[in-house]
Amino acid sequence: MNYSELLAELFLMPLVAFVVGLLMVLMMRKISARLQRRIGPPFFQPIYDIIKLYGKDTQISHGLIHDIGIVMAVGGYIGAELLLPVPGMDGIADKGGIITLSYFLMIPSLGMALGVGQCANPNGSIGISRALTAMLAYDIPFILIVFGAAWHYESTSLVGMLEYQQTHQWGIVEMPLLAIAGLFALQGMLGKQPFEIYIAPAEIATGPMVEMSGKYMGGLFVMQSFQLYTAGVLYASLFLGGGTTWLELLPKAFFVVAIPMSIAFMFPRYKTEDVVRLMWKWPVMLALISLAFIL
Amino acid sequence: MKKELKIKEKSTERTNPLARVFDDFISFCQSKSLFMLHYCTGCGAIELPPAMTSRFDMERLGIQPMVTPRQADILLITGYVSVKTLKRVILTYEQMQSPKYVIGICSCTVNGGMYWQSYATAKKLNEYLPVDVYIAGCMPRPEAVIEGLQRLKNNIKNDRKEQKGSAWKDYFRRYDYYLGNQQHLFGDDWQTPTDIIAEAKLYGLETEETYGKHTDQLLKIQKPLLPQEMKVRMKP
Repeated sequence: MNYSELLAELFLMPLVAFVVGLLMVLMMRKISARLQRRIGPPFFQPIYDIIKLYGKDTQISHGLIHDIGIVMAVGGYIGAELLLPVPGMDGIADKGGIITLSYFLMIPSLGMALGVGQCANPNGSIGISRALTAMLAYDIPFILIVFGAAWHYESTSLVGMLEYQQTHQWGIVEMPLLAIAGLFALQGMLGKQPFEIYIAPAEIATGPMVEMSGKYMGGLFVMQSFQLYTAGVLYASLFLGGGTTWLELLPKAFFVVAIPMSIAFMFPRYKTEDVVRLMWKWPVMLALISLAFIL
Repeated sequence: MKKELKIKEKSTERTNPLARVFDDFISFCQSKSLFMLHYCTGCGAIELPPAMTSRFDMERLGIQPMVTPRQADILLITGYVSVKTLKRVILTYEQMQSPKYVIGICSCTVNGGMYWQSYATAKKLNEYLPVDVYIAGCMPRPEAVIEGLQRLKNNIKNDRKEQKGSAWKDYFRRYDYYLGNQQHLFGDDWQTPTDIIAEAKLYGLETEETYGKHTDQLLKIQKPLLPQEMKVRMKP
């Protein structure tokens, strides 16, 4: 691969991820609106929101770390997109592999924690401590899933995993229990009900986001679209065979992202300690049983 | 009666036609996406849930509720404002990031409504804050609320031509007037954490009426905001 091609991919992969992510945000808001028998936002609403937030006249900055926190939150996901192979573009996926990717997925939460810490708002501190505890909860099943998948596919590279699934069967057929545990981890990772105690708008005023105004909030909206894309494509590549064309990959990714939102309104909210208890009990148990089969 | 202002501020009118297109695009997006902080003070709050949920659905107009003043564009005040509440409303308003808009719902915010004779109620909201849109009624139906929000959206969209959607600038241009009314209610030692005069300088919105005898009074009593001292009391 020559360098110009690689440079083009490094630019295109986050861009595609952003556009697809915006569509996913729109889809989630539409789903929640339809479930509540509303019409929902117009097609360009996510774009309007982001442009409006970046067009604010002032932004309250609480210091350098606050600024860097947002850069880390967005940058962590941009780094993750480069490690996520998509049809036609591998980026640096063959250099990194899924272990590097799972490290990259933790950077945004840590960046948020740094940024929020400097805001000195008690609601933000409560929110971010809950968010990090929730991360501790869903990362245990997530790491077990990554370990199981890597063992089963005999590769830690996502490119290798996709090749295996395209010659054999989809991962969800060969390891169904691991895939179900993955859905639990996905629900926690996206922070949807019942695992959204750290946002809790009515109690702690959106927790980590409480002091974010203007372009900081815009950065978080951009981060959200990257987050949805990453979660959807990662799950589709691990268990649903990825795709050789975009037409094959995108419906799978959209379907995966639609699941958490569709079932979110059925649950009340769990307390933080209950999130940890639930996450360390059921998905971990499923993943361990699945690991026993795989090993 | 509002006096005509001699405005000596920096000219914000852009001469480059492309920049004007860009500004129009930004204000179009601003009119399409409004985050609303509803400060539910009185009975008008009961009309908001139907306006937001499935019957009338504000989200199709791009309006959604937000919970902190930092993120919000609209401050929606739904009902009578007692003197004690008004302090909180002003603190909340000053924490919002401009461009910011205030909507007063119900007759109580327009002229005191049925609390006209009350000693503890602020009668006209626009003496203390610049109000963009009033929605009169006791209480206004969700249709009226949405009509008012649509009017605000049109004002924001046509702001460059008609200058109707930027009432927030008035707070900086005539700060002395608003501060005077606030001091009249709360006493001469009234001070908020936000330094409005410094913000007016930042935005380039200083006029002659930004300063006056009330801001002089404020500068006299103003104490710098310091972080609270951390104290740990150990039991002997």
